Order: sequence, then structure tokens, then C-alpha cells
Amino acid sequence: MQFFLTFIVPILVVGGIAAVLAFSLSFLGEKMAVDRDARIDEIVRNLAGANCGGCGYAGCDAFAEALFKGEATLSKCNPTSATNKQNIAKILGMSEERSKETVAVVHCIGGNHCRSKSDYQGYGDCQSAELLAGGNKACPVGCMGLGSCVASCKYDAISVNKDTAVAEVDYTHCTSCGACVATCPKKIIGRIPKEATVYIGCSNTGFGKEVSSVCQVGCIGCGKCEKNCPTGAIVLSNHLAAINYDKCISCGKCIEVCPRHCILPFDYAQHKRDNTNGIKA
Amino acid sequence: MTAAGIITIVVAGILTNNIILSQSVGICPFLGVSKKLDSSIGMGLAVTFVITVASIVCFFLYHYVLVPLNMTYLQTITFILIIASLVQLLDIVLKKTSPALYTSLGVYLALITTNCAVLFTANAGITAEYNLLYTFINALCVGLGFTLALVLMAGIRERLERVHIPKFFQGFPIALIIAGLMSLAFMGFGGLSF
Repeated sequence: MQFFLTFIVPILVVGGIAAVLAFSLSFLGEKMAVDRDARIDEIVRNLAGANCGGCGYAGCDAFAEALFKGEATLSKCNPTSATNKQNIAKILGMSEERSKETVAVVHCIGGNHCRSKSDYQGYGDCQSAELLAGGNKACPVGCMGLGSCVASCKYDAISVNKDTAVAEVDYTHCTSCGACVATCPKKIIGRIPKEATVYIGCSNTGFGKEVSSVCQVGCIGCGKCEKNCPTGAIVLSNHLAAINYDKCISCGKCIEVCPRHCILPFDYAQHKRDNTNGIKA
Repeated sequence: MTAAGIITIVVAGILTNNIILSQSVGICPFLGVSKKLDSSIGMGLAVTFVITVASIVCFFLYHYVLVPLNMTYLQTITFILIIASLVQLLDIVLKKTSPALYTSLGVYLALITTNCAVLFTANAGITAEYNLLYTFINALCVGLGFTLALVLMAGIRERLERVHIPKFFQGFPIALIIAGLMSLAFMGFGGLSF
């Protein structure tokens, strides 16, 4: 009897509690199972799986769920290949929207051409420098070249050019995930279509005089490109040229006429050819 | 059951007997999940929620199962059992019934399964011989104190990211030093009494 009380009853009590809990767990697990559509898993399989978070969701899984609910669009994800995107579009029963493939570009070529207003000796990344009176560059939207974007890039596709002191994108590796776009405190990294042939190398929306007082290569909003564009693809907005890539016919007129040389030629295919051996100059 | 008694429990739970900074319990999430303010708030709320529910369930288990059977020495092991499965249960139930709360608590809910702060609070409530209301208030305030410590730590660590720290202090060493200093600061509340 004593043996029974000291050994068996405690075993029964703990075992009983454990059994009750185990049964309720398995029962609830069955009863409360959240049915997830098999199609979501199918979408996850088709996504790139980089979990880069460039879409703004917690990962590919969360993005797939948002896609399924119709909260997100496929164009938010760039690492996923075009064929896989078509598969996903098929799964979702969407019309195959061909989202334009894009790459990131830095809309600033100032660097050494742009005056420094102070000598920054702080922590050494762009966010910190930005906190100190908007950074060390005289231009409020000039690339500081401190490399926060470099640190944010998961694909080693952006680096700060030592000679020009401006961040540059290596288009071969860029998946247009948008990490650098979100990181840059100056908001001067944008995305352009891969088939684009020109892009604007300046983000300053100030008047011409303000720009020319701080930078030798900034857009002064003279409007020459706008006047010379045969299709009206370039328009000035806030004293800064902006390109509508749907209208651009790649004539290159704007590059010729720009007095500040801040409209730059862009050739994705060429970059791809130059860098196929994986060695970057 | 007096108002003064409740105020004492509230002040003790949040400030004077802060579970992390005075009792040194639950250090793992304190150092692990305090790098970002957002995640520290999520973790804090999840812990508050679980501590409250777990303390109440443990209260009933102790007073209606263990005491009648004269087996209070099984307290620790049964509480561990209860807490571990309770967190799993909450995980399942919340996922189904309240997806909004589930997503806001996120991954932290599952992480609490082995958090010692939960067991500590449930045990402390039994040791102090609280009634059901006191157990509830005590658990809630301990959770809030946990959240407070975590949020303060996260705020400081977010600033630390932008400071030059000697190489041998970077990472955990400086976090431990800060934890020590915060603990000292919280000792200043020790004189509070009602």
C-alpha cells in the first residue's frame, strides 16, 4: 500500500495529466487545423526562395499567401524567373501579366564632382551620416559613397566605385530585389526596365542655380532633353528630367544634348556580355 | 483583498521585483530578442499573454489536483508539462480563432515554450499563496515588467548600433554590461513601498 502511494500514484497523476494534454493537443490539432490551399504550396515552390524580403513580406511563404489572397502582385518579386512567374500566374488563374524585368540604378553620378560641405568622421554608414545634418554632401540627394547599399545587398551587386566615390550597380548580379532601394537614406536608387537605353544620373529637384552651386554634373532642369525628345518620353518634373520608358525609342538624342552629361547610356545586354566571365573590372 | 495589496503587487511586478532586472529570470529573450524595438514589443506581449494564461491554469492545477492528492512535490514537473503544452495549444487555437493576434505575436509564441519566466511566475504565485485574482494581476504585471525591460534594452541596443565600441566589447559583452547597469538602476525602485 505504501509502495502504491509513493510510486504508482504520482506516476499515474503525471501520466494522466500528460495524457490529457496530449489528447487535447492532438484533438485540437486535428479540429483547429487551418486548411491551407495546396495551391499556396505550389506557389512557394515556384518562387525564387531567396527569402530576401524585397517584396515587403516576411519571406517567400508570406508573399505566396499574399499573392493567393490577391493582396500582392507578382511584379513585387524580382528574383523569381519569368517562366516561374508564368507558372504562378497559371496557378492563380491570372492572365499572364508580363511584368517588366528591372534592374536597380543609382540616380546620382555626383561623387567627386559634388562638393562636400563637411568632413564626416562618424560611424561610417549612410544612415548615420544622414542623421548629422543630412550628410556630408552639399547636395541634399547626392550619393555619399559610404556604402549602406553595399551592406544591404545580398547578391554582391552594388559597390562604391573608388574613383568616382559613387555607388554603382553590377547589373549582372542585380536581381532588383529592392533592398538597396529601401536602404538608401537619400532615396536615390531606383529601378529601370532591363531594356532601357538611357537613365538619369541625378535626383536633385532643386532650381538650376542651386544644383550648379553644389555639383558639376547635376541636372539643372534646362529642358533641352524635353525639347529634343522626338516622342515626348522625357519630361521635366520639379526641375528634374524624368524618363517614361514606355515612350522611349532609344534614339539617344537626350544623351547628346544634355549640357551636364547626366543623362547616361545604359545597355543591359552589353553589361551581361562584358561580365559573363564573372570578373568585374 | 485590498486595494493596497493590489497596488503592491502591481508595483512589485513591474518595477521593484522586475522579473529580468531584479530576479534575473528570462535572460535568454532579454539578450536574444532585444535587437529591434518591434520584435521586442512582440516578444514582450507574447510572454505577457502566456504568463497570464499559464499562471491561471497552474493555479487551478495546484489547488484542485495536487493539493487534494497531497502531491504538491510534483509542482515543478507538472507545471513544466502544463506550460509546454499550453503554449502549443495557444498556438493552434490562436491560429484558427484569431489570425490577427497570431500574426502579431508571430514566431515568438513558439519560442516561449521553454521560457523560464513563465514557470517562475507560476511557482512564485503558488509560493506567495495568492488567490485567483492576485495570481492574475501578479502574472499580468510580471509580464508587463518583462516587456518594459525588453523594450528599454532594445531601445538602448538600437542606439548602440551607431556607436563606436571597442572591439572586445562588441556584441554580447556590451549587452551584458548594459543589462548590469539597468539592473542597478532598477534597484533604485527598491525603496518603493505601500
